Amino acid sequence: MRPALLVVSLLAAFGPPVDMLAGDQSVNAGSAVIQDFEKRVSAYLQLRRNAESSLHALKATDSPEKIADHQNELAHAVRNARKSAREGDIFTSPAGVEIRRLLRFAMRPADAPHVRQSLQHAEPVRLHLHVGDTYPAHVPLQSTPPTILENLPKLPPEIEYRITGRDLVLLDTKANLVLDIIENVFP
Amino acid sequence: MAGTAALEADLPLRQDSVRFAVIGDNGTGDRPQYDVAEEMEKFHETVKFDFVLMLGDNIYGGSSAADMKRKFEDPYKPLLDSGVKFYASLGNHDNPNERFYKPFNMGEKRYYSFKKGNAEFYALDSTYMDPTQIDWLTNALRKSNAAWKICYFHHPLYSDGKFHGPDTDLRTRIEPIFEANGVRVVLSGHEHVYERLKPHNGIYYFVLGNSGELRPHNLRASPDAAKGFDTDRAFMMMEIAGDQLFFETVSRSGKTVDSGEIDRQ
Repeated sequence: MRPALLVVSLLAAFGPPVDMLAGDQSVNAGSAVIQDFEKRVSAYLQLRRNAESSLHALKATDSPEKIADHQNELAHAVRNARKSAREGDIFTSPAGVEIRRLLRFAMRPADAPHVRQSLQHAEPVRLHLHVGDTYPAHVPLQSTPPTILENLPKLPPEIEYRITGRDLVLLDTKANLVLDIIENVFP
Repeated sequence: MAGTAALEADLPLRQDSVRFAVIGDNGTGDRPQYDVAEEMEKFHETVKFDFVLMLGDNIYGGSSAADMKRKFEDPYKPLLDSGVKFYASLGNHDNPNERFYKPFNMGEKRYYSFKKGNAEFYALDSTYMDPTQIDWLTNALRKSNAAWKICYFHHPLYSDGKFHGPDTDLRTRIEPIFEANGVRVVLSGHEHVYERLKPHNGIYYFVLGNSGELRPHNLRASPDAAKGFDTDRAFMMMEIAGDQLFFETVSRSGKTVDSGEIDRQ
């Protein structure tokens, strides 16, 4: 039997090597999870657009009251539209697993010391938030290290990954609203 | 401030130069912030800077109308009334929606650039340096033919402050972009002191986080430091005249604590 034909026959009989199969499945499963996560984020954005369409559009203004009012009204409208929102709606359990896996890439030996230093020097925040919370005005935002952002799925503008304590938070910055949380992600 | 005597600056005040002031971590609403603002106004009578860069933590503790009045509109009212424009960048104490506040001239954007004379200024959001912003920065710097490229943002890449220190993750990501694209001056806040670092690969880094806040005696001795000031508040003035940039750092009491000249490479 020709060698190529032999290989094809063996593969047909036994399938590809276990490692290759597991790797392919792992990558495909991860991609599917991220696609699902991105769809959920898009669905949220559509919900927010619908909620915002009932408000006066916010443009650059001399009035801090208008900015604050828009933020509060938007948050109120979104909460009404997401009354049953709970932890895990966007950061599903598989997404949480995948995001933890991706964060391990951010903590490779070459990058880990810089990421840790960035987290420490950024005025760490000790705060436990819940879905639907407003981010408190008196609490500074901890900066999210660029290496972490580089390794996580891309988000649309105005939706951000933020860190509070050990938790990864999904924050709508325009509504100043917590959308979801993965707890105890960071050491 | 009618009747206030104008002060002499260490700047050459050449014709057609680009003149601006710089403040960082200013938005406390406390007396020291107002004192710095009054000094800025005194120097404005002579220097006539026409815009101010804000290095973040523009407003502490919330951005209600009362906060904006006490922590920005009132202290800088004479400058604002004189037509001085403020260009803000976001710090970790800032509500990202400050980008909608017209007097901050952010154009509703978290990060943006603008030109003045032969200089281009890049206001970055170091609280959230995502790949999209990094791509924008790279493209914006690359296509600019400005003689002077000046970047400013909240978290310093280099700092000898004991409380925070540098953001080395941010540094690994954006310092190469600065070096590859001709950035000459970088201004940051966050550390509540003033520090001028010795140049790194041709780039002059300044930390100015004490225009309202202050962390006294917070600078550690360092071979990287060219000058430090951590016993009172301060602001900076800069003047770009052709291929030279002049700077002067002034304390809350009106004393010059640092000054110098940077040549364009």
